[in-house]
Amino acid sequence: MADTRTLAFEIGTEEIPAFDLKAATAQLAELVPAALDAKRIPHGPARIYSSPRRLIAIVSDVALVTERTVEEFRGPKAQIAFDEAGEPTKAAIGFARGKGLDASALERREEAGIEYVFATVETPEAEMASLLPEVLAGIIESISWPKSMRWGRMRQLFSRPVRWICALLGDEVVPVRFANVESAAQTRGHRFLSPGPHEVPSADALLDVVRAAHVVPSEAEREQVIRDGVAAAEERTGCTAELPQKTLTEVINLSEYPTVMVGAFDEGFLAVPEEIIVDAMLMHQRYFPLYDAAGKLSNSFIVVSNGDPACEATIIDGNERVVAARLYDAKFFYEEDLKKPLEAYVEHLDEVVFQEQLGTMRQKTERVAQLADRLALDAALDAAEQQDVARAALLAKADLVTNAVVEFTSVQGIMGSYYAREAGESERVARAIAEHYMPRFSGDDVPADTVGRVVALADKLDTICGLFAVDQAPTGSSDPFALRRAALGVIAIMQAGVGISLAAAIRDALRIYQEAGLSFDEAQVRGAIEDFFLTRTKVLLRDAGNAADAVDAVMACGIVEPIEVIERVRALEAARREEPEAFEDLAIAYARANNLSDAALGTGYDAALFSASEEALAHAVTEAQTAVDVALDGGDYAGALAKLAQLRAPIDDFFDKTMVMDEDVALRENRMRLLNRFTHVFSRVADFSCMAKSK
Amino acid sequence: MDDATGAPMTEAPTFQDVIMNLQRYWADQGCVVLQPYDNEVGAGTNAPATTLRALGPQTWRTAYVQGCRRPTDGRYGENPNRLQFYYQFQVLIKPSPDDIQELYLGSLEAIGIDVSAHDVRFVEDDWESPTLGAWGLGWEVWIDGMEVTQFTYFQQVGGFECDPVPAEIAYGLERLTMFVQGVDSVYDIVWSKGADGVTFTYGDVYLENEREYSTYNFEVADTEFLFKEFADREAECMRTLEAGLPLPAYDSVLKCCHTFNLLDARGVISATERMAYILRVRTLAKACCESYMEHVVGQLPAADAKGGE
Repeated sequence: MADTRTLAFEIGTEEIPAFDLKAATAQLAELVPAALDAKRIPHGPARIYSSPRRLIAIVSDVALVTERTVEEFRGPKAQIAFDEAGEPTKAAIGFARGKGLDASALERREEAGIEYVFATVETPEAEMASLLPEVLAGIIESISWPKSMRWGRMRQLFSRPVRWICALLGDEVVPVRFANVESAAQTRGHRFLSPGPHEVPSADALLDVVRAAHVVPSEAEREQVIRDGVAAAEERTGCTAELPQKTLTEVINLSEYPTVMVGAFDEGFLAVPEEIIVDAMLMHQRYFPLYDAAGKLSNSFIVVSNGDPACEATIIDGNERVVAARLYDAKFFYEEDLKKPLEAYVEHLDEVVFQEQLGTMRQKTERVAQLADRLALDAALDAAEQQDVARAALLAKADLVTNAVVEFTSVQGIMGSYYAREAGESERVARAIAEHYMPRFSGDDVPADTVGRVVALADKLDTICGLFAVDQAPTGSSDPFALRRAALGVIAIMQAGVGISLAAAIRDALRIYQEAGLSFDEAQVRGAIEDFFLTRTKVLLRDAGNAADAVDAVMACGIVEPIEVIERVRALEAARREEPEAFEDLAIAYARANNLSDAALGTGYDAALFSASEEALAHAVTEAQTAVDVALDGGDYAGALAKLAQLRAPIDDFFDKTMVMDEDVALRENRMRLLNRFTHVFSRVADFSCMAKSK
Repeated sequence: MDDATGAPMTEAPTFQDVIMNLQRYWADQGCVVLQPYDNEVGAGTNAPATTLRALGPQTWRTAYVQGCRRPTDGRYGENPNRLQFYYQFQVLIKPSPDDIQELYLGSLEAIGIDVSAHDVRFVEDDWESPTLGAWGLGWEVWIDGMEVTQFTYFQQVGGFECDPVPAEIAYGLERLTMFVQGVDSVYDIVWSKGADGVTFTYGDVYLENEREYSTYNFEVADTEFLFKEFADREAECMRTLEAGLPLPAYDSVLKCCHTFNLLDARGVISATERMAYILRVRTLAKACCESYMEHVVGQLPAADAKGGE
């Protein structure tokens, strides 16, 4: 093994955005070994480190010299490689060029009795000093950023300006140059606690020098420091912190030397709705709220500082002032908003655009109210519920123009419910306003009450149908209005139990748009929306672990109501789980019958021609048809399946004993008519041939 | 009342000390210290010394105080943190120096903030101005959780790539002074203090202003007059551009912006109209930048249609 050294490479920058830093760190773990491999540089494992002001790669056991290699490649046959005059053909020239050679360098040699051309490629040994500068500069350029920038007079792009580069192989500096910055055996420390520059005697020492300069150089380590600090703070305060992943990632990448501190605000602010306080702390200040033993928001919060721990008192005092100012604003907005009843804000919804072609939020409110009214009738709500639906639909969006929601957007709906209660609206209406945005994400709860569910359905359906009508359906990864999430929300709410027909609701939503003066091809748009829902349903069912063939079998029956599809797939999967053999046989028999049957012959068989097994099957089929119809009409899909399963014995017996393709045309056609009758029994339940194909 | 650092209040710089210290500091860095631009602007960035001078290859360094008008932010003097008129201290240096962050931190020291005794952070904040066709990347600077500065490397203005790249530093002077003086209401800021102890607060100077302008902006301003002014200024801008005079034409853009902001505060611009007005202002602003490139910078490269991002 050749002589090896550790390679240390640090790109020093101005503060890189938190999420971009996380992504770049992940990229480097691939980029660094790949860049070395591309130059055939033998190396050990590469470890990546980072802080807001640096990206570091440490690669152990990098060879000082690459080995000389000789590789031989066999090319085309000689008779193809050279023409009659003995000149190389296009084939030979192309082959040689592919190996970086001239055609004249190709050799001819016989192998297994056939003459071929061969190319010998020699890569001489190379000093690392000649290879690494280019490799390392290439790595800087290869990192891809969501947003990148130029600075000064430089033309190079990076997330933020690059200010220093430390590149060492053993104790030798690797000369790397990027945007006028030249590498050196130097690094910098924490901006205020140990600014530097600090000398780095060797590659192996880089991390130690960085650590000694008040920098915790990896996300994992900083996360641990923060989690330990939070645990200690919880212990000290008797409270529990909430650490949402997004804010946590930001906080981890907003400090090089994190210290967890606890601040507090005036208890008087707790009179402001908790959700605004939490939004102000998490979203605006990146503080973690603390909750008391009863789960109520306390007036303490956690701040992760990048400053000198010795200055904790100063830093806490400053943060407390900031949060007090924010909460003062929140309280001011909240109290201002309360000066008018929630209903008074509805007219101002014409100041907020919903979507350019679909008008303002006020117009949306009017449409949602109409649709909700329809849905409430369809779902057979009682008069009191219908009244609450109308009220909640009218008020659902009103808080969008209140001061508190303009300032703290994540509390939309929630603020509306506070204002509704204060204005004397019923508790059910207030809840519906808060919950009509639910489910807000996959796995989120659906609105608890029927009134909230109906308003939520109307709101989501109005959005989906409107955007489809103006040709803004989601495409590929682009779904700017989150229509897929809205559709899953609709399905989830219907599953939770609202007795409406989706097909009718879509028709109603589109009709309301038409009546409001929007013109579009109704049949085409409606078809696209139904397909969209069916596709979401399919994805939902598969994600939940249902077999693809069961989903296909049910969908093949042309059902458009997602709830029905879901219930049928579940019942089919359950039945199949209970009697796997019976269903497999049935599927095979069905497929066989389906292949043999000829729809043109109809189902009018002549019982006089039957053998005993045919007779038995005909009897079973007639009985099953009645039972299946009764079960399906009563919504008992599992019952229908159970009836179908009972056909297994007679059909197996039939195929055992009967030769369908009899030479006698009359017998043959009579049997095919019987099979037609047999497959017809299945038609309303599931296409069993889908399930046989996969076996 | 003592500052948390232990420094007695009396030693904290006054509002005007903060301004004068910043002016001295940036003058020492070779900046042209301008006086505030004499036209209504919504931010220091909108003054021509930044917007227009950011364009073209010439070196440019400036620092100035700029009064900013944001009619919808008025709170009748009742909110301790929000004003419809406030001051920014604006620095623009082109090309951005390699040590611009250190220079900025030095300016904080110059107004009495010991940066090593606080938690000073650069928190990602990208800047985009649709009305100016401009964008840049940078940070908001936090001191102990309080945002006191916007720090931006301009990438594009008026649809033109900035080359070289200027660094813009915009300090919120009231916030910064509240921090330095340790006061919780903008109106309690000590603006000046004479040797004989006579003191003027921010409230003494501006509270009446906030009350009157909030009332004017929200309730009194004549909307018909403003609609007409917008249209007239728009026409005047185009006429001025035809004469090849981007600087006076840009004044009309600023007038249009302010008029639009007042109409917005009066609540007479609907959501759909709002977009149309913003587009009209953007068209004017871009035309001014183009004219500036042609007549002042002396080159007319094709504006980058991709928008750069």
